Amino acid sequence: MSKPQPTSRQRAGRARLEHARWTPLLFLAPAVLTLLAVGIYPTLFALVTSFRQYNLVRVRDGFPFVGVENYANVLMDGSFWNALGVSGRFFLTVMPVQLALGLGIALLLHRPGWGFMRAVARVSLVVPLATTYAVVGLLGRLVFNREFGVANQFAGWLGFGPLDWLGSPSGSFAAIAIMDIWQWTPFCALIFLSGLSMVPVEVEEAARLETTHPLAILRYVQLPYLLPGLTAMLILRSADVLKLFDMVFTMTRGGPGTATEVISILVQRTGFRVFDMGTASAQAILLLILTVVLSRLYIRFLYREIA
Amino acid sequence: MRALLLAAACAAALLSGQARAQTSGWTLEGAAAPLKGAQISVTFLDRPGYRAIIKLLPEFERRTGIKVNYEIVPYENSREKQVLNFTARGDLTVALVDLVWMGEFAENGWIVPAETFTKDPAVADPALKLDGFFPLLLDAFGSWGGKVYGLPFDNYSGLLYYNACMLKSAGFDKPPATWDELAKVYAPKLTDKAKNQYGYVLQSLRGETQSADSFMRMLWPFGGSLLDKSFHSNLKSAGSQTGLQFRQDLAPYMPVGFVSMDHAEAVNAFAQGQVALLTEWSAFYSTLTDTKTSKVTDCLAVAPEPAGPAGRLPALGGFSLAVASQAPPREQKAAWLFIQWATSEAIAKQYVEAGGVSGRQSVYNLPEIKAQYKFVEPMVASWQKGVPEFRPRFPSWPAISEIVAEWGSKMQLGQVTVEQGSDEIGRRMEAILTKEGYYDGKKPLLQ
Repeated sequence: MSKPQPTSRQRAGRARLEHARWTPLLFLAPAVLTLLAVGIYPTLFALVTSFRQYNLVRVRDGFPFVGVENYANVLMDGSFWNALGVSGRFFLTVMPVQLALGLGIALLLHRPGWGFMRAVARVSLVVPLATTYAVVGLLGRLVFNREFGVANQFAGWLGFGPLDWLGSPSGSFAAIAIMDIWQWTPFCALIFLSGLSMVPVEVEEAARLETTHPLAILRYVQLPYLLPGLTAMLILRSADVLKLFDMVFTMTRGGPGTATEVISILVQRTGFRVFDMGTASAQAILLLILTVVLSRLYIRFLYREIA
Repeated sequence: MRALLLAAACAAALLSGQARAQTSGWTLEGAAAPLKGAQISVTFLDRPGYRAIIKLLPEFERRTGIKVNYEIVPYENSREKQVLNFTARGDLTVALVDLVWMGEFAENGWIVPAETFTKDPAVADPALKLDGFFPLLLDAFGSWGGKVYGLPFDNYSGLLYYNACMLKSAGFDKPPATWDELAKVYAPKLTDKAKNQYGYVLQSLRGETQSADSFMRMLWPFGGSLLDKSFHSNLKSAGSQTGLQFRQDLAPYMPVGFVSMDHAEAVNAFAQGQVALLTEWSAFYSTLTDTKTSKVTDCLAVAPEPAGPAGRLPALGGFSLAVASQAPPREQKAAWLFIQWATSEAIAKQYVEAGGVSGRQSVYNLPEIKAQYKFVEPMVASWQKGVPEFRPRFPSWPAISEIVAEWGSKMQLGQVTVEQGSDEIGRRMEAILTKEGYYDGKKPLLQ
């Protein structure tokens, strides 16, 4: 018996099915290709480069494979550890302040009433976030200018003499920290606010009937809803501090001395002043590993699904 | 009468070039005729010398039909931008070469030797006259390994700018002649911290400003240097240590935060009357004489940099223009015509009047230029004798400059002593030079 031939209707149906199978891929393709081009390829290129002697101003020497020499050089370089230390101190300085201020602002905005003011506040919170890093740095140069900056104006009102913000190691570190806090506190506030808005109204109202103590409500009712956002903030800000460049470069160029030489400034100097791309790539890959490890730690110890 | 004769001689010199060109039949228009419509690209800085040539560009474009595309970038990014362009074989046809990049650009083959064009009668202006440049400038800014690559374009000498009114109030009728005098006699009398007034300022921001303008400036006049003859560190020599310690001793007479001051901030402190003495490039003269940017125009006076125990060895810096080897032959010729014109004796006077500092000797003999620009005489005096290797011009300098900038800043901040900082710089610098092959005879000891 011969196999029955599919009718034209069946053939059209199969073609549609075939087409339908490819449709999601076609929709995804632009995003995937873009990601490959701007994310995956450069990362792989950096990975390969990190195992080579790759100096753009010594092209005549070629790009020989050097194994883990670049990594060994980076790990034995005091400047790398110093810059990593500055980034670490910077993160530990700004993050607690941003979390505390962000939580405070979010709790204020979460309170009922003052609808119009809350709407205005939410919009104005976005302004620092939308400001380009380099512009934040330039603003910082003006704000902390010793002669005419507003920072010293405030200091004068409080009875302090003009402070040398950008000319002293501790002053310049404080100045970049303040500018970062100004820029990123709204981000924390908005994330906390979205967490607070997820708390079921009936649960929160019931809790308020149980106790009038706001700290108890925060600890036992609201905090579980804030933890996923807190984890996200820590992951994003850790990665962000490790790649923080524009603001610091425009404000202090990493100085005076190495007081504000965060790790990305060192990577930029290695890559685009010395043009030692092999070493700069090794530094960048080590930072990538550090970011992944920190992210896993945050998720492991902080992240909780809300039951 | 003498001035008149000099003026006549200079005018004759300027005209003789044109006359020679005319007798040989070479004209800019004729040379550019086959290149009409060509486009060339160049990197410029936001400094007076570039603004001056931009003012004059329409004349070049009108006469040649060659379009000059320029991009203005901050100095700190200009090398990075050009190196990336050359390694990616980009679109730059003219290289802007800081004197400390000359070795790097030439050894990598990114720029074309000038003789390629000076030997080509189609594009070589008979009035080019390489010997019309100050020899020090052509040697330091434009040459590498005995070969000329670029023509001096934006030329600087370190000068001492002083506020004559402040000096007069303090009882001085002339500027300090030596560094010792500046530190021991002038600076203490001119500093009044209660009034926020300071004797001197030394721009010291980390980067090339720290390594070139602050650190190296104090080595040579005191008999020191970065390297000895065998290319080992010379920072522990008596001369270098004296110079670096002298730099530390100046701190009490400088504005608070001078370690974070770049050229703009230091010039501004002087321009606002906060500082009485400033050692700065000649290129900033126009900023200090502009009433929009300076409050001290009436009190401004200029002198050569003070002398040290080893003599008057002022800071030397500047840029040349060279043809980029990545450009196609037609654009290379067009680029050469532009460079030749921009650095020519023929437009030198216009260039100076537009705010530039020409590298041509003849223009500074013109009485009206001498009379109008106070910086001319001290600058010309500085260019008679100088150190071409004020900063080494070999390819390793950018990497060494980073080290000097880091540890030089730390010295000034008191985070390390002068001796400790010198040891660190020496050790790290020698590691770079070892890798480069300077100690095993692989590379000639050129700087």
